[in-house]
Amino acid sequence: MPVMLPTVLRNLFGGPATRMYPVQVREPFAGARGQIEFNDDKCILCGNCEKRCPAAAIEINKDKNELVFYPARCIVCFVCAEACNKEAIIEVDKWRTPYYTKPVEVHTAKAKKDKAKENKVE
Amino acid sequence: MAPRTVAPFGPQHPVLPEPIQLKITYENEKVVDVVPALGYGHRGIEKACELNEYPKNIHLVERICGICSCIHGISYCETVERLWPLEVPPRAKYLRVIYSEMSRLHSHLLWLGLLCDALGFESMFMQFWRIREKVLDILEATSGHRVTQSISVVGGVRRDIDAEQEKTCIKVLQEVKKEAESLINVLASDPTVKARTVGKGVLTKEQAILLGINGPHLRASGVKEDSRMLGAQAYSELGFEPIVETAGDCYARALVRAREALQSIELQLEAFSKMPEGEIFERPKGRPPANEVTYRAEQPRGECFYYAKGNGTQHLERFRVRTPTFANIPSLLVMLPGCELADVPVIVLSIDPCISCTER
Repeated sequence: MPVMLPTVLRNLFGGPATRMYPVQVREPFAGARGQIEFNDDKCILCGNCEKRCPAAAIEINKDKNELVFYPARCIVCFVCAEACNKEAIIEVDKWRTPYYTKPVEVHTAKAKKDKAKENKVE
Repeated sequence: MAPRTVAPFGPQHPVLPEPIQLKITYENEKVVDVVPALGYGHRGIEKACELNEYPKNIHLVERICGICSCIHGISYCETVERLWPLEVPPRAKYLRVIYSEMSRLHSHLLWLGLLCDALGFESMFMQFWRIREKVLDILEATSGHRVTQSISVVGGVRRDIDAEQEKTCIKVLQEVKKEAESLINVLASDPTVKARTVGKGVLTKEQAILLGINGPHLRASGVKEDSRMLGAQAYSELGFEPIVETAGDCYARALVRAREALQSIELQLEAFSKMPEGEIFERPKGRPPANEVTYRAEQPRGECFYYAKGNGTQHLERFRVRTPTFANIPSLLVMLPGCELADVPVIVLSIDPCISCTER
């Protein structure tokens, strides 16, 4: 017991190790892997992210000009964000909040459409 | 002869974070026989690794175990790199050592906490986990995630530790060292802890070698054996010496892990001071060639053995992991018979069982 006395005294006069969550939330570290977001304006549906995703959380439907993202499957490894040549996938350090039903995000790639229009004009 | 009773220990038990069942036969309060039953946590990860493309496996292999996840990922990359063979940049080697040691540190602190919990020393359990949290925080700050760091890729590492992060890491590690030393001092000198661990679950050197035990469990029985001695990654440049105790009881196993936790802080600080500047990733050329390789890694729980067979495609033909707990479970059949029923939780915990590793 006397050996533990310094630790006991430090804990007696020190503050608690926990915080009043959810009132008090710790700011995420810079570069923490929280979640990914898509920038529809930049995406050209090249399929780099779909090919590399280890959890098959991204599906690309070129006929419909759509990118389908399943957040519940995503393991936030950020491999897709590193693979994206157009910087269309944004790394966000805030965690996704819990959900009752598994969401499905459908993104329409605008960059590709615009490009197609430009080509038509030419 | 007193009547014999068979009682199940697990698969759900407070000292077991994961499911393993021990069918314990006891006479009065003395254990006579033990039969382990495994197979509650099988997920077929090895088969899944053959179906996946090889870069995707890193994330799958990391999920073999929650605590050794980082070392599993690094070791998978080391194994696949040996198929070419591929040399990673020197800085990446040092970063891999730093991350391996950081996860060893948090794993050993977790185990020391769990040991206190198994003994009923609740306050000490909280103290160990409190300082472990600091290690997890620096892991999150540098790699981006507390548990599944996903730091390693075939050909190097994904994220560099910059000068500012390095300073924070060194500062936190020195703090953790100071606090851990004082807590370990309490643990090692406490009469109740000694009464519950000294002379319990003794495994002699000869028995340990005969049963093929590995890791801290083996080193506590007086065998100087550690896969880090092979000098993979940057260990050859760090002057690594394994920690050995001779008593072979639960107390010796606790001391080995406690001293290893402090040693891994020293190794990290040394790695930070010796780390060269430069590239951290080199893109592998082509696909893994048709080749067969093995690799031995030292995990917090002991030696982990990897086997990989490539066939010139994006997929591995065969991938196999033999994890430390798989080798350490037979020691329970020697250590448990003859002990008191009340000592069973402490002895089971002293091998640091990781069942999700064992069954994959």
